[in-house]
Amino acid sequence: MADIFDSSLNLEETHFKEGYDEGYTHGLISGKEDAIQVGLKVGFEIGEELGFYRGCVDVWNSAIRVDPTRFSPRAQTGIAQMEELLQKYPLMDPENQQVQEIMDSLRIKFKMVCSSLHVKLDYNGYPKSSSEANDMQF
Amino acid sequence: MLKKKKAAGSSECCCVGMAIESMELKEIQKLQGHTDRVWSIDWNPATGHSGIPLLFASSSGDKTVRVWEQTNLSSNLFTCKAVLDETHTRTVRSCAWSPSGKLLATASFDATTAIWENVGGDFECVSTLEGHENEVKSVSWNASGNLLATCSRDKSVWIWEVQQGNEVECVSVLQGHTQDVKMVKWHPTMDVLFSCSYDNTIKVWADEDESDDWQCVQTLGEPNNGHTSTVWALSFNARGDKMVTCSDDLTVKVWETENIDIQSGGGFAPWRHLCTLTGYHDRTVFSVHWSREGILASGAADDAIRLFVDNNESEVGGPLFKLLLKKEKAHDMDINCVQWSPGEKPLLASASDDGTIKLWELAP
Repeated sequence: MADIFDSSLNLEETHFKEGYDEGYTHGLISGKEDAIQVGLKVGFEIGEELGFYRGCVDVWNSAIRVDPTRFSPRAQTGIAQMEELLQKYPLMDPENQQVQEIMDSLRIKFKMVCSSLHVKLDYNGYPKSSSEANDMQF
Repeated sequence: MLKKKKAAGSSECCCVGMAIESMELKEIQKLQGHTDRVWSIDWNPATGHSGIPLLFASSSGDKTVRVWEQTNLSSNLFTCKAVLDETHTRTVRSCAWSPSGKLLATASFDATTAIWENVGGDFECVSTLEGHENEVKSVSWNASGNLLATCSRDKSVWIWEVQQGNEVECVSVLQGHTQDVKMVKWHPTMDVLFSCSYDNTIKVWADEDESDDWQCVQTLGEPNNGHTSTVWALSFNARGDKMVTCSDDLTVKVWETENIDIQSGGGFAPWRHLCTLTGYHDRTVFSVHWSREGILASGAADDAIRLFVDNNESEVGGPLFKLLLKKEKAHDMDINCVQWSPGEKPLLASASDDGTIKLWELAP
């Protein structure tokens, strides 16, 4: 014979499980929603930065085609290296280990080329190190 | 402990003579003119011999660089010959003469480095190097004068080539330090670059296959008996086989490498810790400079100048350097830079937060 108190004895456990399941389902939905937002934001930012460099490289390359002597050999090497890095960037594979490494190299090459060409170009989204350390230093 | 015998270094002190122990550091002049703290001093290497009066540059928080010249060969008195202003918009942190003495490079907190040329006694800004994201902390010329290095709070070190007509182009951007880079210095004979940083390390950079591909070939940090706090400055001995560094950890460290002559065939010989001068300083050591005669000078936040020499009486395992003298209250505030002049009887110049530069003579 079933214990008539059985269901009330397990009352706490039952409610706990019910609540847990509900919370889990909710978490799954809102977690996915958050992840989509973060993915959209980060993906957009990376796309924007890569697109910015792509645009610069394309314009510089057109300039070189018009006048191959306009830019110094070092600047031209830098532009070619940027082009190579842009092609190598695994756009559709965000978990690829190389992603950060390639972006870092692109940023350095970009700075070097700008310096060689005496132009002041700034990608607006570029993380400024000055914002992270505002303390007085000498 | 250290079983290094000290044959190589001991010859360096011979020129100073026997009486070095009884020498004193005598103030010969106090130069006023800068209206803010004086950060750095650099002697023009093409002066002080062959009948050319000594000349040096000083850079300051007042955004200017001043050039000082010995009034005549027989006196040790200096006058301000030029004020280089209206170019940098913030503190000029460092200055350096090219090996020929014709060009002066100045590094500023305005993120630029300027190159000045002496045109008939007037200094003209002939080139501006832009690229660093923020404050440029130091600038250095290589031995042949065709390469410049700069470093910045942006944690990077840049190498530039100075071409014909003073055209300057970036050769490489070196990233490796994890913090503010305080000073860059080229080796006195080889194209090997040294940088020291707020990340407590000294890094050595070389372009081993000479293809603009500069890489960090060695990092001298805590695991190699290195400094435990910010490394502020470094200097080489005349031969270039020893290097001295100073730090916020209150020590001065001496490093050595294999015989430099053997290295000329290429290949990099690593540096190793030789000794640590500890217990002498009780505040941050900001500057250290090795004279051609082998006297180490240090400038520190306790307003004092200290001189160290090779310890000739040292027994095996004993200290390799000893304190020659300590000049207390050399300045009213922190001493940012000490530099020995070129020439036969070197003078010591010191620059301070008190806005003055002092010239010192080591005399009996």
